[in-house]
Amino acid sequence: MKVARVMSATAILCGLLLSAMPSSGHHSFAAEFDGKNCKDFTGTLTKLDWQSPHAYFYMDIKDAAGKVENWSFQTYALITLRRNGTDRQLFIENMGKEVWVRACLAKNGKERYAAAGTLKFADGILRQVGQLQD
Amino acid sequence: MKSYLRCGVPCLAVLALALAFSWPAGAQEKEYTIKVMPPGGPAPRLPNGRPDLSGHWFPNGAGEGVSGRFGVDPAALSTFDPKVTPEERPAFQPWALAKIKSMTPTELELSKSSVNCMPRGVPAIWLQNPYTTLMVHKPDMLVQLYEVLNNWRVIHLDGRPLPKYPEPLFHGNSSARWDGDTLVVESIGFDDRTYIMPNGWFHSDELKVTERYSRPSMNYLFVEITVDDPKVLEKPWKSAARRWTLGNGEVYEFYCTNNKDLDELLKLRELELKQGK
Repeated sequence: MKVARVMSATAILCGLLLSAMPSSGHHSFAAEFDGKNCKDFTGTLTKLDWQSPHAYFYMDIKDAAGKVENWSFQTYALITLRRNGTDRQLFIENMGKEVWVRACLAKNGKERYAAAGTLKFADGILRQVGQLQD
Repeated sequence: MKSYLRCGVPCLAVLALALAFSWPAGAQEKEYTIKVMPPGGPAPRLPNGRPDLSGHWFPNGAGEGVSGRFGVDPAALSTFDPKVTPEERPAFQPWALAKIKSMTPTELELSKSSVNCMPRGVPAIWLQNPYTTLMVHKPDMLVQLYEVLNNWRVIHLDGRPLPKYPEPLFHGNSSARWDGDTLVVESIGFDDRTYIMPNGWFHSDELKVTERYSRPSMNYLFVEITVDDPKVLEKPWKSAARRWTLGNGEVYEFYCTNNKDLDELLKLRELELKQGK
């Protein structure tokens, strides 16, 4: 029983210490995208590019003047998306429908290009499709 | 906790048990949907009595994917906790440290295998890899199928020595032996395009890597790495025992065929050079 008590104490200590650990990422988001320049976008899903290392989806988005422009958004690696239940078919089924995404713009100034963080399809479920930035 | 590193497999078993039973039934179990795996009973063994390292191994404590998922117990996220099993910083020789420090953040990013799609190589495949590894273990060989970039490696377990004139390979040239229930793999001859860690830690042609594999219980694999590089380091560097857990599910295909990161970062580097950075 003494061993069990020591194990239990060790286990609780390990648990407390491990609770603050960060998750691992694919590569440094901050090198390519500006975490201080993130925005909410709502538009129509127009295209999906489902290849490794990252998927890209495209949306028609109206600017403040009403002009429609096509944006591209980078996601996690395909493996990560598939493991969290965000598979290709989900994008296919939402093609032509309204999508909401929060994403951060590229540091190199590339226009209409951003890294997606969270996304909602028509089902309203919040999905993590890229590194959370803010 | 450093002491467990010295006492080997029995202490790793205790650590695995401790990690697995970190929380008794209660509020936190209800809160998290993805939890720390239990030990799962004794490790399986091969016909020759050695521990069988076969399995689909995840680089975390959950035995399933944890990235991009909600409800993950923080204790299940990583392969080790530096507060519990601290790793000493690598002792770089002054010239090597100066070389690393001279890299800009963008240059550093461009050097990463996760960005440039070069194979991670050994030992980085165990130190900086968020994807799974499927291991197939037979008495005379250990096959490692890395999900990332569809890389693979065969380690012969027939006691063959290290080659006298090794080819430079991403996974090195290996010689394996058993130390009790721990498989010890020594490797030399590495491709100079690999990095030890994604922080600019390069290596020389004198790099020697030692991997120590142990499976203290069914669900846990521990991998400890020693990096010996007398041209770059003042002394050998030893990793913490990195925890991998047994999972199910697919080993996914990962051919890097659409790498836009590289192009965008190269454009960013051009921009930085114009700005005198």
